[in-house]
Amino acid sequence: MENSDVLLRMEGISKSFPGVKALDDVSLTVKAGTVHALMGENGAGKSTLMKCLFGVYAKDEGHIYLEGNEVDFKTSKEALENGVAMVHQELNQALKRNVMDNMWLGRFPKISKYIPLTSESKMYDATKKVFDDLEIDVDPKRIMSTMPVSQRQMVEIAKAVSFNSKVIVFDEPTSSLTEEEVEHLFKIINMLRDRGCGIIYISHKMEEILRISDEVTIMRDGKWIATRPASELTMNEIIRLMVGRELTNRYPEKDNVVGEPILEVKNLTAMYSKLRDVSFSAKKGEVLGVAGLDGSGRTELLENIFGIATRKEGEIYLHGNRIKNRSAKESLANKFAMLTEERRATGIFAIRDIQANTTISSLPRYKNGPFLSEKKLTDATKWGIDAMRTKTPSQKTQIRSLSGGNQQKVILARWLLTEPEILLLDEPTRGIDVGAKYEIYQLILNLAKEGKSVIMVSSEMPELLGVCDRILVMSGGRLAGEVDAKTTTQEEIMTLAAKYA
Amino acid sequence: MDENNKTKELRGLYKHIKISVSALNKIIIGLCALLIIVLVMAVSNRGFTVTFDSTGGTAAAPQKLMYGDLIEEFDPPTREGYTFAGWYLDENLTIPWDMNNDTVTSSMTLYAEWSENNPSAE
Amino acid sequence: MSNQPEKAKAESFKSLSTKDKERKIADLLLNNAMYIIILLAIIYIAIQRPAFLGLSSIVNVISLTAAKLPIALGIGGCIVLTGTDISAGRVVGLSACISASLLTTVFKVFPNMTSAPPIIAVLLLVMVVGAAIGFVNGFSVAEFKLHPFIVTLSTQLITYGIILMYLMHGTNNGQTLSGLTQSYRDFVTKTLFTVGGVAIPRYVLYAIILTIFMWIVWNKTTFGKNMFAVGSNEEAANVSGVNVSKTIIMVFMLAGIMYAITGFFDGARIASANANTGLNYECDAIAACVIGGVSFVGGIGRISGIVIGVLLLQIIFAGLNFLSVDANMLYIIKGLIILIACAIDMRKYLVRK
Repeated sequence: MENSDVLLRMEGISKSFPGVKALDDVSLTVKAGTVHALMGENGAGKSTLMKCLFGVYAKDEGHIYLEGNEVDFKTSKEALENGVAMVHQELNQALKRNVMDNMWLGRFPKISKYIPLTSESKMYDATKKVFDDLEIDVDPKRIMSTMPVSQRQMVEIAKAVSFNSKVIVFDEPTSSLTEEEVEHLFKIINMLRDRGCGIIYISHKMEEILRISDEVTIMRDGKWIATRPASELTMNEIIRLMVGRELTNRYPEKDNVVGEPILEVKNLTAMYSKLRDVSFSAKKGEVLGVAGLDGSGRTELLENIFGIATRKEGEIYLHGNRIKNRSAKESLANKFAMLTEERRATGIFAIRDIQANTTISSLPRYKNGPFLSEKKLTDATKWGIDAMRTKTPSQKTQIRSLSGGNQQKVILARWLLTEPEILLLDEPTRGIDVGAKYEIYQLILNLAKEGKSVIMVSSEMPELLGVCDRILVMSGGRLAGEVDAKTTTQEEIMTLAAKYA
Repeated sequence: MDENNKTKELRGLYKHIKISVSALNKIIIGLCALLIIVLVMAVSNRGFTVTFDSTGGTAAAPQKLMYGDLIEEFDPPTREGYTFAGWYLDENLTIPWDMNNDTVTSSMTLYAEWSENNPSAE
Repeated sequence: MSNQPEKAKAESFKSLSTKDKERKIADLLLNNAMYIIILLAIIYIAIQRPAFLGLSSIVNVISLTAAKLPIALGIGGCIVLTGTDISAGRVVGLSACISASLLTTVFKVFPNMTSAPPIIAVLLLVMVVGAAIGFVNGFSVAEFKLHPFIVTLSTQLITYGIILMYLMHGTNNGQTLSGLTQSYRDFVTKTLFTVGGVAIPRYVLYAIILTIFMWIVWNKTTFGKNMFAVGSNEEAANVSGVNVSKTIIMVFMLAGIMYAITGFFDGARIASANANTGLNYECDAIAACVIGGVSFVGGIGRISGIVIGVLLLQIIFAGLNFLSVDANMLYIIKGLIILIACAIDMRKYLVRK
């Protein structure tokens, strides 16, 4: 019954957290020499499944077999020693140390059996050998922090290979890579596949999945939905299985009416970033996109307008009146709102409940005399949950137990309760799954329809083209151009984005 | 950015803690055991020590007493040229100790007060 | 997890497998290990010395709790901000010394004074002094981003120096201040009412008023909500339009005022004040907060928890005192209690397996 080329078999895995069944009887079979894609929306249970494999969580039920033998790893180190490795989405590396130190961390080769000193030369040779094998062109003595993320990721992969891993899990490996680097990564993955490794590949990017994987397992709400050969799947089919319904349109219909300019930004130059001399205007009822490469000053532009970064020069006019916006508090009073890029770092109050997270920016509105009214707070939060269609058990639930999309909705509700005129949204759909993205787009367009002016930064070009009216393109801290979203192309935007880069 | 990362963010004074729950369990159990041992030791070794600072007079032996006890009567210390005038709770001799009514509620030191026999001699 | 309604918890418990139930029970035991030990200790003490559960002993514990409560309420806010405040005890001492030097019949610190100023004026004065020290703490933490431990360590030392110099002023020569006016002592310790012949002093009432005041501040004001927001994520609070610096400074100032009030009461309660008044009070207060569930993770804490924490600590200390356990031993016990409380608190917020 045991198929000889089955490397890893996870059977009937279940895992519960207080109040949630995170995994419900999930099975996964990875054959040697194949790439097995694991797909599902955020919260579908992909990471939980992997954490059960690596012993980060103890599974409640189920069995894991590695090459036919039952295993139950207690730590990821134990898993690694048994040939199961993971390349993490967020790299945990000692950045101040060099490449080979990172490769051999915790198992430095000794000079000889009797001399317990680490041997630099052995370490260098061993590292070089692995790199040559994988055609990675990195000097083993280079300091990690001087290398781009893509190369650091290569080191991580090489490390996994150096353990002679049979099963390697890639968790969203391409999220910070350029096209070219993705090609190299795929080359390495193919090489590992040809050597007979079993690869588990977790990603949201469907084009990639269809290109690289042999089999696809789709999960939804902690349950196994389907496992199919990649050749039999189409993008729409995958989305249908992931979301559980047809998603005919990835973007909602645009029916907002663009009005008069209300915000005027003149010669904005930042004190501590390379943002300089940016002038533009935003109109009532308009969704204004901001495109550009990473580090082109998109985020800095919003931060400077909102006053959480220091301005050196520049003027901001709202309805023709000069405003200062020197701090978030002042901007708030001027009816600005800002959704930041790093949701966990600067957005949510993780351990506070939904109510506290929703009402924090508009607290003075809920006062009865000098004190806050519980009823007003509850009503406002209820409005926020209903208007955003946030899925939460109650208002008193801690926000950290919600999925990324629902957290984003709570923060949006927080800002809408301040009744802003200008909304600055920095990557509003980052880390959010397909279904929730659509809802966020719908919300953005509804806001524009209500006459608010939305300025939205995004690194996903199709999203900007699908949702915005006009798009500003940033390059090297300067405004490279302005295009009409209806008539422009991705190529035009990319050309502009490279202008001063 | 999946649903499970969120549980990991400890902030405040617990930033960057990397200890497993099972290890922490053992630490808690160990500390609790230690606390119980200390409590047992404390209880089996109980009793307050009252020491007497005769401030220049003959020494008086310390006493080990229980909560609520009266200090056992003993002959007051003597000092040449002075007469013993009583025990006080503080060095400044502001709070007198009544041997017949005050009960011991903690470890403490009592200080002696002396009155000179013939102040005019100097 | 702490916010889940109890009913839902009970229901989800029923549906769990035996293995899960065992784990849940183990969780429950570990998370409440401290309370269990304290409870066992109290039972033991009560059996050994039945008088411990007598009226006078209970009133004594309540009075002690009331005396130590304001300082804990103040420090609680600092802990919610992920900080701490170790200058608290010295501020209590300074406040007690100022109160005792002014509201006295023998003016040793100010030999030129002839009559004591109004009680309220002195209370306001010490509150201003406490707020000023709190301002220094808060300003340094908020504006220089120094760790509260370092800032309050330095203000602790400075305050101690001020106390010593203050006590050397006039003709006092560093001696203990006593001879307090009867009106000051009455104001704080006069009998509120008697229960079965045991008097309950006025400061118990004051402590209750302060607790209600702090509960309102924490739960019903913008400032309170902002405090929790800053404690749980300072960056996000800033982006959300919260004036982070102002919030931090106000939390420390409010804490300083609470210490000053504690000191004002302590002067009259002990009927004297010296350089050692208030020594190590902050340790008890921090321990009480941690036992009461004010977490060092930041942004978590309740007034009710602090009250319970102070009460539990006072019960265990009074009980051990009843058993004639020496004060030297109490320090070790206190230290262990803080360690265990921190370990349990940490456990609650770590990844669950």
